[in-house]
Amino acid sequence: MHLLINPGDDLPIYRQIMRQVMDAIAGGRLTAGERLASHRELSEQLVIAPLTVKKAYDELEALGYIESQRGRGTFVNARLPKVSRAVRDSQLLDAARSLLSQAYLAGLRYADVLKVLADANHDLTDEPTRTRRKES
Amino acid sequence: MPTTPVLEFRDIARSFRRGEPVLSNVSFSLAREEVVALLGRNGSGKTTLIQIAMGMLFPHAGTVRVFGMSPTDEPVAVKKRIGYVAEQQILPSRSTIPDLMAFHRYLFPTWDVALERSLLSRFGLSGNSSRMSHLSKGQARQVALICAVAHRPELLILDEPAGGLDPAARREFLETSIQLLNREGTAILFSSHHMSDVERLGGRVVLLDEGKVRIDDDLDALRESYCIAVIPRYAAHAITTIEQLPECLKVHQQYTDWHAVFRGTPQSVQALLHDTFGLKHLQCATVPLEELFIELVGGERTAEAL
Repeated sequence: MHLLINPGDDLPIYRQIMRQVMDAIAGGRLTAGERLASHRELSEQLVIAPLTVKKAYDELEALGYIESQRGRGTFVNARLPKVSRAVRDSQLLDAARSLLSQAYLAGLRYADVLKVLADANHDLTDEPTRTRRKES
Repeated sequence: MPTTPVLEFRDIARSFRRGEPVLSNVSFSLAREEVVALLGRNGSGKTTLIQIAMGMLFPHAGTVRVFGMSPTDEPVAVKKRIGYVAEQQILPSRSTIPDLMAFHRYLFPTWDVALERSLLSRFGLSGNSSRMSHLSKGQARQVALICAVAHRPELLILDEPAGGLDPAARREFLETSIQLLNREGTAILFSSHHMSDVERLGGRVVLLDEGKVRIDDDLDALRESYCIAVIPRYAAHAITTIEQLPECLKVHQQYTDWHAVFRGTPQSVQALLHDTFGLKHLQCATVPLEELFIELVGGERTAEAL
């Protein structure tokens, strides 16, 4: 997978890495058991300090998304962490409310929001660097 | 057993003209594999501090230790293990690149010819036998960097490494530093005004302000646990008390309102200001490093100044 970081962003670099890895897992671009780049590889590829990569991986591991195996590397967890249904539903509802409120303030309608969701789904499940194929 | 820090400043003070301290009570240290970014405005004492570490200046008070040694008492033993690029590197103008490389190979027993070659080719300087005086500013800095790293130092000190370099050359400089950090565990102390470079190299930030260490903290802590509170003018009476709070680092006027820099998350600072002063709904936010830097060391901005 391909990561892109932006040092001037509101999010610290380790959070940008966490977010992109979580997006990739969510979108299926990273699958269970897949090996992530090592601290050193990613540090040199992104030109950032190795400790920053370590911090991002440590946090992802604490959240249960990845697992580091001594001497072998870091892998996407075979079983993703379970979130309780109540928590999941309330978080999703919050996110959905804020999405709809932003959309309606901008003058969009419900149908437009569905289209936005479809686009976002496309971004999440497709490699972002890949050029988009023409829609048939 | 505690390991000796790679570099240690203890209560360093230094002044130039009588009564004008450039540095006072500066203390911090660097361990192996650690990166410290030295930030501060022009004239805040960054270069003076770096020169003290290099044994180029004596401190007027306090001690400096490099690998546990004094850089002025044991200059050779210390310099063998340090790589240094000065803000204005003066290379012998009549020497050619091959001359300079041969000289360094002779000086440093640990000189790595393979690394020298690979850096020369990365910088597009292989086979270039120009004299130093004929190189561009960026090329001269690249040569200085090769001279500073090819003996695989345990401590790399870079004073404004990005000064005068184009973005691509800056990135090459950073790539080289990060590879050294990864492969040798080299500790790095660098000063810079490019916040994006500071974010990339990561590690700790030491902010010098008027010769004193105002902040010594992790870069990520600066991004996530420092925030700016906007104190509107109707609450200006509270400013002097806010300034006394231990969590408050600086207050300054921003036109008719005031900005206060706090250590703490926006939520905790909002709660603090609410509990202490009854101030409600204040705007509190974490900010990018560059903004935080300006808030901490920038001057007042009032309408009269315009």
